[in-house]
Amino acid sequence: MLARKPSDFGEIYSAYAAGCLDPAFQLLVETQAALRPDVRQAVAQAETIAGVFLETEAATAVSDGVLDQLLSRIDGLDQTATEHARAAERAGDILDEILRLPAPLRDQALEASMDRSWTKLAPGVSRLNLGVESSTEVELYRIEPGRTLPRHSHRGNELTLVVAGGFEDGTGHFRAGDLSVKGPQDVHQPTADSDSICFALAVRDAGLEFKGVFGLVQKMLRR
Amino acid sequence: MALQHGILAEDERTHFANCMGRIARERCRASFAELFEHFAPRLKSYLIRLGSDPLAAEEIIQEVMLNVWRKADQYDATQASVSTWIFRIARNRRIDSHRRLARPDLDPEDPLLRPPDAESPDVIVNRHQIEIVVRRELETLPEEQLTLLQAAFYDGLSHSEIAKRFELPLGTVKSRIRLAFQRLRRSLTGEH
Repeated sequence: MLARKPSDFGEIYSAYAAGCLDPAFQLLVETQAALRPDVRQAVAQAETIAGVFLETEAATAVSDGVLDQLLSRIDGLDQTATEHARAAERAGDILDEILRLPAPLRDQALEASMDRSWTKLAPGVSRLNLGVESSTEVELYRIEPGRTLPRHSHRGNELTLVVAGGFEDGTGHFRAGDLSVKGPQDVHQPTADSDSICFALAVRDAGLEFKGVFGLVQKMLRR
Repeated sequence: MALQHGILAEDERTHFANCMGRIARERCRASFAELFEHFAPRLKSYLIRLGSDPLAAEEIIQEVMLNVWRKADQYDATQASVSTWIFRIARNRRIDSHRRLARPDLDPEDPLLRPPDAESPDVIVNRHQIEIVVRRELETLPEEQLTLLQAAFYDGLSHSEIAKRFELPLGTVKSRIRLAFQRLRRSLTGEH
C-alpha cells in the first residue's frame, strides 16, 4: 500500500487540510510529505484551498477588549522572553569570562556554575560558591569595573587572590596574581579597577587553619 | 460566484506577509493588530461554523493569535500565504475531534485510486505558484464544485458526509471534486 499515493483530491488530503484526520493518519501524511515532493504538493494544494476559504469567510464581530487582552498577554510573553534572553546572554558572557580564567580554577568554576547560580551581592557584584570540599568557604567573586564589594564580616581569616583585573582595598592595590590576606579584625571592601572586570578567588576560614584547600591556593600563586 | 468577496489580491497578501515580517523582526504590535482585525472575525465565523459557541470561539482565537505572534519567525513568505498559515494554526484546534476520520475511504476498487505510474507524471510546482494558481482556479469554478470543495477541504466533511448533506449520490460528489482538480492540475501543469 505504501507505493500508492492517494489522489490529490482524495479524502485524505481534504481531511488533513481541514484538521479532521486521525492523528495516526496525520502523522502518516506529514511523514510521507516530508519524503515525497508530490505528496508535499498535494498537501500544499489542499491547505491553500482551505486558506482561501478562510479568506472568504464571513466576518463575525469580535468582542471589544479581546485585542487588548491579547496584547497584554503578549507583553507578558515578551517580558519572560526578554528575561530569559538576558539571563542567557549574561550566562553566555560570564561563561566566556570563566573560560579565560586559569586552568584549575576555570574547571572548578565551570562545574560550579552548572550546579548553582551566581549570587548577586550588589549591582555589578556577584559571587559563586565553588563547592570545594573543604572546611573553608571557597568563592569566586566577580566585580564589575568600579564596583565595590559590600562590607562583610567574617569570623576568621580570608585570603583573596586576584585572578583577573585588579582591586584597591584601602591597604593597597592588588593585581592578577596578588594575594590579599585579612584577619578577623580587618575591614575588607575592595573596589574593582575601572578598566576591567575583576575576578577574585576568596578562601575564608572560621578561624581554623587552612589545610585541604592550601594546595589549590598554591597552584594559583605559582601561575 | 461564491468567491467574489474576501479573496485577497496579491498586494493584500504581500501586505499581510510584510506584517508577519515586522512581527518577527521588530515585535511590531501595530502589524499584529492589523492581522487580528482582519483574521479574528473570520476565525470566529469559522469556529462557530465548526460548532463552537461565540465565547469559546474568542478564547480559541486568542490562543491561535498568540501562536501567530510566537511563531512569527517561522513564517516564510515564499511559501504559504498568511491565510493558509493562520488556517493551519486554527485547524489544529478543532474541538470536534470525534469527527476525526479514522479510516479514510480507501476502497481499493475505487477508480480514483491509481498507482502513481498510471497517472500523468506529477509536476512539482513551488508553493508560491500553488497559491497563485489555486486562487485563480477557485475564482472560476462553478458554484456546484466550489461548494463541495469547501465542504471537503475547509469543513472537513468526508465524501459520504457531503453526499448526505447535499443530498447527492456519492459518485456525483467524487466526480465533481475530481473535475475541480483536473482544472487545477491543468493550470499547474501549464504554469511550470
